[in-house]
Amino acid sequence: MTVLAEDDLQIVLPAGVVGRKFDDETSHGLSHCMKAVDFIVELEDRVLFIEFKDPENPNALQKDSAAFIKKFLGGQLDTDLKTKYRDSWLYEWAEGRAKKPIYYLVLIGSSALSDADLLARTDSLNRQIPVVGPGGGSWKKPFVAGCAVMNLATWNKTLPHIPASRVGL
Amino acid sequence: MSKITHIKLDNFTSFAALDEAFSPGVNVIIGANGTGKTHLLKALYAACAVTVGEDKEKSYALKLRNVFSPYEGRMGRLARRQSTSVKAKVAVTRAGGAKLSAEFSNHTNKPEDVKVTGEPAWKKSELASAYIPVKEMLAHAPGFLATAAKREIAFEEVYTDIIKRAFLPRLMGPTDKNRQRLLTALQKAIDGKVVAKGEHFFLKNQQGDLEFTLLAEGMRKLALVWLLIQNGTLLSGSILFWDEPEANLNPALMGEVVEVILELQRLGVQVFLTTHNYVLLKEFDLRKQKDDAIRYLSLFRDESGAVTSNASDSYLGVDPNAIASTFSDLYDREIKRGLGVIKV
Repeated sequence: MTVLAEDDLQIVLPAGVVGRKFDDETSHGLSHCMKAVDFIVELEDRVLFIEFKDPENPNALQKDSAAFIKKFLGGQLDTDLKTKYRDSWLYEWAEGRAKKPIYYLVLIGSSALSDADLLARTDSLNRQIPVVGPGGGSWKKPFVAGCAVMNLATWNKTLPHIPASRVGL
Repeated sequence: MSKITHIKLDNFTSFAALDEAFSPGVNVIIGANGTGKTHLLKALYAACAVTVGEDKEKSYALKLRNVFSPYEGRMGRLARRQSTSVKAKVAVTRAGGAKLSAEFSNHTNKPEDVKVTGEPAWKKSELASAYIPVKEMLAHAPGFLATAAKREIAFEEVYTDIIKRAFLPRLMGPTDKNRQRLLTALQKAIDGKVVAKGEHFFLKNQQGDLEFTLLAEGMRKLALVWLLIQNGTLLSGSILFWDEPEANLNPALMGEVVEVILELQRLGVQVFLTTHNYVLLKEFDLRKQKDDAIRYLSLFRDESGAVTSNASDSYLGVDPNAIASTFSDLYDREIKRGLGVIKV
């Protein structure tokens, strides 16, 4: 059983599932020029690129948390999320590891976001990555299979075998 | 002038027993189709309308009939439909305690046979109001009032009422600072001012006069609000009823509409609006300031099929929230489509 944690958020991988911290300066080695998602988890039929954002981190100030939510809802974090995915994909591809369909999961540690907000951000991320190719058609070689922006509740409903929780609880 | 504080509906249209207090500021009514949102607005509006101008001659019962326009004008058709005889009652209370009520049964035909109580005291002070229906009417104003007066068209009276209010002349005297700020904000949104020539309305800007029939329907609604503010229909102490402000409006304009509504409330206008729109609801939630008074009223059907309600003074407390639930369902399906089944 592997626990992947970033500050106060964590996911627990079931036995036999391999996952690693990707956004790690030492092991990544190219942090000066490439952005990175927090974790990469390999499942039997797919790979998950996982990014945590935690505005409700107990160490975060309330005003910082509110500022994050405002930026997030306004789409100002989309570029950061998109770049993290693309750079991570490029890194894995260049290392000869991008063999399975890759899904991008963004976990937001916030109870203040409604499903409508999460839907709007998921839509936006789909457009920004982008999931579809030129003219709205499929890519000949898709570089992302799907993406989702989730809070803890949605994550645990969607991935009950890889539970997410707060470290401090 | 005062505010409406309370309504009690017994066996009226789809309501079995509704008993709700209102905010003196903005009252946002949500609920699925067929839960009586518009009925609630109309019952309240009729009570306000009979306190002002030519409608003062009408009884509350007659005004109710005219704004609801039941088949063959039969009052009994406004009673909740049941297999047995049923007594219906509408009671509206305003600040200061004055109460107006109308009682009838499903067998009552004429408005004269409705038992109206509290009317003389109720009519002693005016409750100026405007009811903006879902359908935009200004573009259809030419000839409409004359045709309606001859009873040649079957339109509910809210439509003729709003045209009459739009035709009222500009309020005399200087425009105070707050009202001018509102007018300027609306002028920016509609890109001009509204002028009337005879029974025709035009949007006047640098390009000239544009007839209303050529104007986007959403814009006509905002132009109507501009007229109502300019001619003093919407002043401190008056009441605005707005059925689905979002109708035909691009979501990008929703923020400005909500800002206008909040600003009217800050000027002392009591507002009742219905909505199906998430953006509108969320704009209220995001733009609300500390002293703004907003109450959300959620209408829904209970197990027996009767409409009942829950009120909340915060957006997150709205329950059930038919609009947010729809988004939750869409979100669930989007996640399923985007990620498929994840096997470990």
